[in-house]
Amino acid sequence: MKRNVPAGVSALVWLVLVAGPLYFMVAVSLRGRADYLTNNPLKPPTDPTLDNYRTVLTGGFGGYLFNNVVVTFATVAIVVLLGVPAAYAIVRSTSKLVQRGFTLLLAGLAIPAQATIIPVYLLITRLNLYDSLTAIILPTAAFALPVATLVLTNSLRDVPKELYEAQTIDGASAFGVLRHLVLPLAKPAIVTVVVYTALNAWNGFLFPLVLTQSESTRVLTLGLWNFQGQFGTNVPALLAAVTLSVLPIFVVYLIGRRYLLSGLTAGFGK
Amino acid sequence: MRQRPSFWYAAPAFAFFALFAALPMVLVVFLSFTSWDGLGTPQPNGVDNWARLADDGQAYDAVGRTAILMVVSWLVQTPIALLIGVWAAGRQRSRAVLSSIFFLPLLLSTAAIALLWKVMLDPNFGVTQALGGPLGDIQFLGDPSIALYTVAFVITWQYVPFHTLLYQGAARAIPRNLYEAATIDGAGRVRQFVHITLPQLRYTIITSSILMIVGSLTTFDTVLILTDGGGPGTASRIAPLHMYITGFSGFEMGYASTMAVLLVVVGTGLSLLVMRVTGYRSMNSQQEGA
Amino acid sequence: MFRRSRTRPLIALVAMVAAVAACGTSGPSSGGGGPFKVWALQDPVLNPIEKTSIEGAGGALETFGNDPYKQKVRVAIGSPNAPDVFFNWGGGNLKEYVDAGKIEDLTPVLDSTSGLKDAFLPSVLNGAKIDGKYYGLPMRGMQPVVLFYNKDLFTSAGVQPPKTWDDLLKLVDAFKGKNIQPIALAGSQAWTELMWIEYLLDRVGGSEVFQNIRDKGPAGWKDPAVLEAATKVKELVDRGGFGTNYASVGYDVGGASTILAQGKAAMHLMGSWEYVNQLGQSPDFVKNDKLGWVTFPSLAGGKGKPDTVVGNASNYYSITKSSKSLDAAKKFVSTALNDEKYVQSLIDAGDVPAVTGVKEKLAKAANSQYTTWIYEQVEKASTFQLSWDQDLPADQATKMLTQLQELFLGKITPQAFVDALAQG
Repeated sequence: MKRNVPAGVSALVWLVLVAGPLYFMVAVSLRGRADYLTNNPLKPPTDPTLDNYRTVLTGGFGGYLFNNVVVTFATVAIVVLLGVPAAYAIVRSTSKLVQRGFTLLLAGLAIPAQATIIPVYLLITRLNLYDSLTAIILPTAAFALPVATLVLTNSLRDVPKELYEAQTIDGASAFGVLRHLVLPLAKPAIVTVVVYTALNAWNGFLFPLVLTQSESTRVLTLGLWNFQGQFGTNVPALLAAVTLSVLPIFVVYLIGRRYLLSGLTAGFGK
Repeated sequence: MRQRPSFWYAAPAFAFFALFAALPMVLVVFLSFTSWDGLGTPQPNGVDNWARLADDGQAYDAVGRTAILMVVSWLVQTPIALLIGVWAAGRQRSRAVLSSIFFLPLLLSTAAIALLWKVMLDPNFGVTQALGGPLGDIQFLGDPSIALYTVAFVITWQYVPFHTLLYQGAARAIPRNLYEAATIDGAGRVRQFVHITLPQLRYTIITSSILMIVGSLTTFDTVLILTDGGGPGTASRIAPLHMYITGFSGFEMGYASTMAVLLVVVGTGLSLLVMRVTGYRSMNSQQEGA
Repeated sequence: MFRRSRTRPLIALVAMVAAVAACGTSGPSSGGGGPFKVWALQDPVLNPIEKTSIEGAGGALETFGNDPYKQKVRVAIGSPNAPDVFFNWGGGNLKEYVDAGKIEDLTPVLDSTSGLKDAFLPSVLNGAKIDGKYYGLPMRGMQPVVLFYNKDLFTSAGVQPPKTWDDLLKLVDAFKGKNIQPIALAGSQAWTELMWIEYLLDRVGGSEVFQNIRDKGPAGWKDPAVLEAATKVKELVDRGGFGTNYASVGYDVGGASTILAQGKAAMHLMGSWEYVNQLGQSPDFVKNDKLGWVTFPSLAGGKGKPDTVVGNASNYYSITKSSKSLDAAKKFVSTALNDEKYVQSLIDAGDVPAVTGVKEKLAKAANSQYTTWIYEQVEKASTFQLSWDQDLPADQATKMLTQLQELFLGKITPQAFVDALAQG
């Protein structure tokens, strides 16, 4: 591939636009409140302090993080446990019901979660789940299922029929095929689904906003929003909280960049 | 011999989806014909909500703002993402390093991004003040004629990396011999871009566009945080936020459900339209992209 | 084999549901047994005091920012996970909950606990009296809205705080001429703008105009006094009273208070809690006697009395009927709110508790200059109008706030403001 000047220039401009705010975020988080209000916020901190991080960490951040982890794990578990057998059935089952169910699931791709928030709220309160982490997990998982199933189905469709048939001739049960053939072959797709679902659950905002209240069930996104009011003009502390909230995903990005990016574009890339 | 998986393999997934996603969808239609203040139980009130929606100027305005947001974010994001995506598809080391920086906004949650920009655009203590000059005089969040475009900009900042990623992947898949043949024929770089790259990326452009459309239609947290719930006044109160405020601030949940139904109809309609036109069946989601 | 293939996924499903259910029950939110839950507004200064008092009674405090709180409390009370005790503003908003049968009647508690009823100022206690019954007890200070100003800026400009509306307009011109924003306004939150029109309508047309709107419905907005008040708002905005960037300044994030303290703005119309807030956020500003306060200006030719105040008579703790800890909650509100130590901590923080005999205590405590003044404002006020957004039902209040922001932005005319509200 050759040099491409217009793209190169826009790439540089974009670099400034991306890196600038991120620099601002980290730099300000290291300053004191008074320092921020009186001095130019763009200059590097002359007297860096970690006080803001201490404020954030003693201000409930750990609890929010823990809730986020619980929500993310539970959502991923539900989606994978339900999605993998479903995709297997969709690809291999002759049942008409399965195909009808798949159509229903695909229709779900077009439903914006926002539009169902009022009935979801009604449903969750009637199930007595209001203000629990379960209240966030259930609808988040349900709305992640269509894309997850689609990604898994597409990957299983690529498996040659002969492989399934060979297993069957060997006398394997349907469950045996799932375990010994489908699971290993679908591994890359499962990783994609895990990352995709995890990111959605991790960053979710509307379901937690409407379905939870207490500090004990507050997830990270809502916690950040709440810090805004709690810290007032203590902007450095707010940005310290924002920076801390990015760290876990940043670590994942460093370790498995390829998987993270594939999960982001789940079902849309290639 | 029945060694194929039975219906029961798929049943749990279907049941789960039906209960927590499909049932709410049915319920929202039901609620759109009721009056419910959130405290008691929903009371059927016929087509009152729909009649009210028909001449609710605020709702029309909110839909109009959503349309503006959709068009603007499409127009701005597509060329940027396309150019950078194609550029980042190059295998040079410098490009790899730079693109890993480009993708950083992907790691921030919407809430984090909205808070960061809100702080930077603060009219008294923000970055725009620090930079001074003409920039300091612009009320990015306070001027009703600008706020919606500021929202579009922040959405662009958040999602360009995502769409860049799509284009990067697709551009790498373009067979190289197409370019080699064109070079032999003496085609310049611009011609190659127009005649090879763009047509080859056709389906990616469609996918990315659908994601942007559905994404714009459902933008919510960015606006809620960035402009304190659609401000100044109602300048950035887009359709989903208008629905949320009607439901969870005015507590007219029946009427808010009517708006929700409208949102679903428009969203599904637009997606189906694009998919019908392009013969796509499988590629869209409400979760990503704007 | 067939059987196995059928049951395995089912087992997985059961296991999953069990896991999810376990997840749900382990959540700390499940009621009964645990400490009773009290919800209050986020307030860095008062929250620690509330917390001590609540935890001392075996409860737990949860706090939320202003705008989210108003939404969340309603949602929660409509759900089975309502808090046991919640902070509110009394008035029309509390009435909606009472009408829906969600609130416990506290009249028996007041009657059976000796001295409890007399412990609070009757006028304030009545703020949570609905249809002859008491549904809440005052849990903190009186919060009239007053006009704060930066003394340094007034001294250096050689001007006096405003006594009349005309004074205020002249001050706007004077500060504008010196390139100082005359009045700080946290315009991204509509309730801060509400204070202006509340006072103006009261001064223009008297207290009856709004009472009429509240009691008889939206047609009351057609009263000519509303149009005049809205026109005055527009004049003040157009004159540059609030500078140019108020629309994206927030109160919760401290924007308006900070520019007053830093001398970037000269005046700030705000609830009396602003003092406590400044004390916490910019202590030197208050301690060095730079923060001044006056009553809202009088209006020549207006029908309203110059001594009326608007704001919040107090905040109240109410108990939800569905509470699983009714007895503990009742014991808490009947003993903790007039507790000597609690009242004293509120006073020390600069608050003016609505308890009888507080005046003597105020005089002895720090900040007495301010707190005594606030007390006298309320004592001599002929009416104390509760903030409109709390006195109107939620749907009307939401619409009114939206239209008000549009008025302040100049997006609609005063006439259009009146028309939109009168339509209901």
